[in-house]
Amino acid sequence: MMRPTLRMAGFVVAALIIFGPLSSLVIWSFAEKWYWPHLFPQQLGFLYWAKVFQGDMLRALQDGLVIAVVVTALTLVITVPLAYVLARMPIPLKPVILMVFLLPQAFPQLPVFVNSMTLLYRVNLGGKLGGVILIHMVGALVFAVWTMTAVFKSVPETLEEAAINLGASRLKTFWSVSLPLATPGIVASTLLVFLYSLDEFTGTLLVGSPFVLTLPVYMYRTSVGYELQVASVSALLLMVPGIVLLVMLERYMKSEYLSMFGRI
Amino acid sequence: MKLSVRLACLIVALPPLAIVLWLFFLPFLSSAHLSLLREGQWSLRNYWLVWRLYRYDILYSLWIALFSLAVVLGIAIFLCGYLRIHANRPVEFLFKIPLFIPFVVVGHAMRVLLAPRGTLNAVLSQIGLVSMSDPPSIAFGWIGIAVSLIWKNLALAVLLVLGAYRSVDETFLEAARNFGASAFRQIKDILLPMSRASLAVASAFMFTSMLASFSVPLMIGSGEPPQMVMIDVFYRINYQQDYGTANALGVVSYLLAMAVAGYYLRTITKRT
Repeated sequence: MMRPTLRMAGFVVAALIIFGPLSSLVIWSFAEKWYWPHLFPQQLGFLYWAKVFQGDMLRALQDGLVIAVVVTALTLVITVPLAYVLARMPIPLKPVILMVFLLPQAFPQLPVFVNSMTLLYRVNLGGKLGGVILIHMVGALVFAVWTMTAVFKSVPETLEEAAINLGASRLKTFWSVSLPLATPGIVASTLLVFLYSLDEFTGTLLVGSPFVLTLPVYMYRTSVGYELQVASVSALLLMVPGIVLLVMLERYMKSEYLSMFGRI
Repeated sequence: MKLSVRLACLIVALPPLAIVLWLFFLPFLSSAHLSLLREGQWSLRNYWLVWRLYRYDILYSLWIALFSLAVVLGIAIFLCGYLRIHANRPVEFLFKIPLFIPFVVVGHAMRVLLAPRGTLNAVLSQIGLVSMSDPPSIAFGWIGIAVSLIWKNLALAVLLVLGAYRSVDETFLEAARNFGASAFRQIKDILLPMSRASLAVASAFMFTSMLASFSVPLMIGSGEPPQMVMIDVFYRINYQQDYGTANALGVVSYLLAMAVAGYYLRTITKRT
């Protein structure tokens, strides 16, 4: 028997905890003049938002999107078949393969990526879009392999057996039974990969700098350089895809896809 | 399996495996190798430098990770218990939001909020809680880093712990309620013990990710010692091009992560 006022109070506290830190970003992004210690800026305006459409920020936005689209497409193409195999086929060394795809989450990435950077420079991919795409795929594959394997496991095996009993080949069964049934889960997993790539920071900073600039790296540079308005605009832009995705995932994402994570 | 099927499985598995092995496993091994080399010779000098220069930074990172983990778990265990017993969709949705906000954005937001001349101090000075001439600095220290990590990881903790609590059968809770158990007792004596394994796995993941956090301390760190280990690695490479010491520090961080991973593996194998 929760009293409505208590529920309301709980909601307000939760909203303060979550939106409090984010709200100052919104104010800063519109602040053209803001002198300490005034509570609100002296002059508000769209001056810094206009910068989105010019110069470095536009370039960072475009490059980041191109990288994310390519990473997502490549990851999807190579992961869907592997995930099906991992979910259905009695292949040898399955736990070992799954563990390999857990490594980039289980160990600190930065010290490893320092050496990946050396390897990529050796094959002339350092500081280039190709190198950044590859380093993003390392992390993206972790999410893709684990969630998509869970997705294919959640497709009822009896339906596939029925198709095979009726004379369909494995490949035909995959195309016309398993894949369509797995599509919502694959969509969810694809969105996670896209978001991961858009937000990736460590690998991009190491492998891409100083030639490839994505929005997170651009935001880091402006924030540390005390261009607080520009950084706040970038930060808000960076939050948009995540929030959109959260709303979409509420519909697609089943909790069992995530609860599978890390279990062999 | 027919040979052709086997071959198909192999071909399908090869490209993703190749990427992770080439750009994660190989560099992982080479960092152990490079950490033992100094000017082309086998040497333990890198580790000696780590001990001399960075032992307090290692303790500092461990402290931040442990403190943040303790706070996150403390909040999540009771918050999720409340959400499990009295469903509250709006609050649950709110706590999912940080999950989808990038670490760099969290770092920047906390920097703007908690800096000496940040928004929090501006608000507090209006009601006279802090002095304007000498505003306290919460960012640029360990509390700033911890607050950011807690804020971000709380979302993951709520997702995982609530998932575990939801898989506890309602009849157990009903039985407890029939005997007059309060919400606190239901959490302490039923929900918590029955989801210990999931909680252990979640803690292991969060601990490693906090220990290895890079963008948050980079955004709100002070630039002066003590620093978190990942910042030391980055500075060692960026400003001194000293790959030997950087990799030795890296290996130390792998060992810490491995200790946690060992605990994690023991927990999941015990369950199955």
